[in-house]
Amino acid sequence: MQHRASVVLFSLIFAATVASAQDEHAGHDMSHDSTKAGPAVTAGASGILLGTVASPGINNRTLAEGYLTQPMVMAMLMTPREKFVANLTLNFEGSTLDRGELNAGVYGEGYIDRRHPHTLVHELVGTGNFNLHSLRMSLTAGKGFVPFGTDDPMSRPFVKYPVNHHLAQVLERALVIAAIGSGPLTLEASAFNGDEPEGPYDLPDWDRFADSWSARVTVRARMLEVQGSAARIESPEHATGGGLDHRKVSLSARYASNGRYALAEWARTREGEGNSTAFTFNSALVEGSMAVGVFKVGARAERTERPEEERALNAFRTPRPHSDLGIIGITRWTVLTTSVGTSLPSYRGFRIDPFVEVSTQKPVATASPAVFIPGDFYGKSRLWSFSIGARMGLGMKHARMGRYGAAQ
Amino acid sequence: MSWRRTTLVLVAFAAACGGDKGTGPLVIDPPFDLTSLGQGAVNDRFTAELWVNGNTAYTTTWGTRTVNNVQARGDAVKIWDVSSSQPILVDSLIVTGATTLGDIQTTPDGKYLVVATESAGSIVIYDLSDPRKPTLVTRFTNADIANGVHTSEVQTVNGRTYAFLCIDPRGGESARLVIVDITDPVSPSMVFSQVMGSPFVHDVFVRDGIMMTALWNDGIAIFDIGGGGRGGTPAIPVRLGGVNTVGGKAHNIFWYRDPVSGSKRYALVGEEGPGAIPTSSIGDVHVVDVSDLANPREVAFYSVPGAGVHNFSADEDRGILYAAYYNAGVRALNIRGDLGECAANQKAPDGRCDLRQMNRELAKGPVDAPVVYVWGVHYTGGRLYASDMLNGLWRLSTVP
Repeated sequence: MQHRASVVLFSLIFAATVASAQDEHAGHDMSHDSTKAGPAVTAGASGILLGTVASPGINNRTLAEGYLTQPMVMAMLMTPREKFVANLTLNFEGSTLDRGELNAGVYGEGYIDRRHPHTLVHELVGTGNFNLHSLRMSLTAGKGFVPFGTDDPMSRPFVKYPVNHHLAQVLERALVIAAIGSGPLTLEASAFNGDEPEGPYDLPDWDRFADSWSARVTVRARMLEVQGSAARIESPEHATGGGLDHRKVSLSARYASNGRYALAEWARTREGEGNSTAFTFNSALVEGSMAVGVFKVGARAERTERPEEERALNAFRTPRPHSDLGIIGITRWTVLTTSVGTSLPSYRGFRIDPFVEVSTQKPVATASPAVFIPGDFYGKSRLWSFSIGARMGLGMKHARMGRYGAAQ
Repeated sequence: MSWRRTTLVLVAFAAACGGDKGTGPLVIDPPFDLTSLGQGAVNDRFTAELWVNGNTAYTTTWGTRTVNNVQARGDAVKIWDVSSSQPILVDSLIVTGATTLGDIQTTPDGKYLVVATESAGSIVIYDLSDPRKPTLVTRFTNADIANGVHTSEVQTVNGRTYAFLCIDPRGGESARLVIVDITDPVSPSMVFSQVMGSPFVHDVFVRDGIMMTALWNDGIAIFDIGGGGRGGTPAIPVRLGGVNTVGGKAHNIFWYRDPVSGSKRYALVGEEGPGAIPTSSIGDVHVVDVSDLANPREVAFYSVPGAGVHNFSADEDRGILYAAYYNAGVRALNIRGDLGECAANQKAPDGRCDLRQMNRELAKGPVDAPVVYVWGVHYTGGRLYASDMLNGLWRLSTVP
């Protein structure tokens, strides 16, 4: 019933957005004149029709599935001179991706080798912007992206998420962010609830608000952006507390100009109690994309360490929360991905961008003996994923996801 | 082993087996080896819990093991003939719908076998008229235990038999303790259910009408359920006291009763830290003085560098605690006498006595074994068994 209601809601909002389609523009690069008298509202909707073949998906079986993935409706309200900006992103994956999307290596929130659906209220934040002499300052509150790590994969060139999503981003938290910038330098600090969502319709646990923090420093020079960030997240996987805490660091360099994009990032999460460390997970990733004629080509290489957990009757799920604090080993995933896409002519602002994406993964246990032996579990030591689909959108879209106010 | 050491060990054990067993500690330095007397191999699944009933042993299975692309879930109970030193697998049974069998134990009269299931929570009761051929009596579940039964302790209180179930937290629901009256195994009935632990209630130990619960980061709590003189029953437990053990993560409890002195002064608490099966583990044994049940206090500990403790079993007559120690195998500790009094150089900075410094470690093993990850131990009838996730069932020596 909840799913059906969400689908209906998404359809209504999508139709309404089509009916009132505004000029296409790129996310927070506002196309309207922000100095005009009244507040401006922009809106958009997007989604990806996707077919994926995973070979082997599991137990030496080839799996082929189709989805409507990343279905979202977005809206933004902006007062003159951007004194106040409100962002809303509704994500309907709870209705369309209940079983998860085949995505070998990806894990988190009770899903493994399938990407979990995001929460319905993906982002609902308000940001007040202030200027003092040469300083840019902002205060953001609501539910959204924690200032840590790199942009959300949803706003990057590939449909399949990197394995490091839960190492390199922190999202869907009730948060307060203070940001201050001067020239090329921006500092952000936040307080938020540590608990991860327990389902697509879950809300942050307000009892745990501000039990976790993050800080990020960003330096921009021309088209290059370098960030370093750290976060301490209390018991993200046990909503009631008492689980392992995560101490995270991230370093990245990002380049974007004239249709060319590149990102190099390194991230590390240490799980433990107090100052002790029980497990450490590292990730390194480079990716890029560029226009070649009418095509946009992209490539990504990633090496990420993943915790292995006991699986449920559904082998793509893990009991959540765990019954103990232990894991059943660490697997190092080496993943290579390439994609080619193009944009069809838009019709009344309606965009269709077809693409194909191919990925290969090689998981290896980092210790021996191992409970989880990838070659035995999957049936082969090397896995392949083939995807074909079309990104569809109307109205505004997020050029980037994960930064607010003075940090944008 | 040199003749001098052999003599020392034999004299020490002779002392332990007779004379004034309720006083001085047994000291064997250095520890001797728990040698393997026999092994029953299990290679298709991961072995977990263990219970021995006479000449029949039962081992459960855990998680998913994949061998040659064949995946086997932890839904099997292996049935062993242990009439000789070499455990012989004689049969097995499959519990449908289970991913892991959380616990296994026979009723005190040995007539029934109780098996706990995860991730679909239930207890399954089998008739043991033929111990080698258990027959299903009933499978009990309800909304309170559906999230998964992580452990199940079966004990008798005032003539009735109960299963004390620790239920997994799942999907936003907290862990809880559920007590089920299984006196009539055909018709179990839940008599108590309450959210407990932070974030888990993980295990229970029941003796003489007193229930001790391992509440993870809330330490341990002690309840009168019929033997504490406070009017408690299994249906209405009355809390007597509790203590937060150092480091939290209280996983399991054993309450030692010295058969000679009658002393029930110490409860031993296992701490299970975050480990990676089957290569690492962490967590100490904590000794809690429970002579005043309303004000228990931790007085001592035992630690193994590079390994963590799991389940316990004891040879109470000789005052020996056997502790499964995952990647460190099995450790035997002398728990007789005063564990809370020690010399200054045997104390940790926080004042607790260190059983290792007190030379309370008696033995370790199994030796001459491949890499092990020992889940559980069971001492019964003068015999010691260990369940090893990687290798199956071991019979170990208990003397040098």
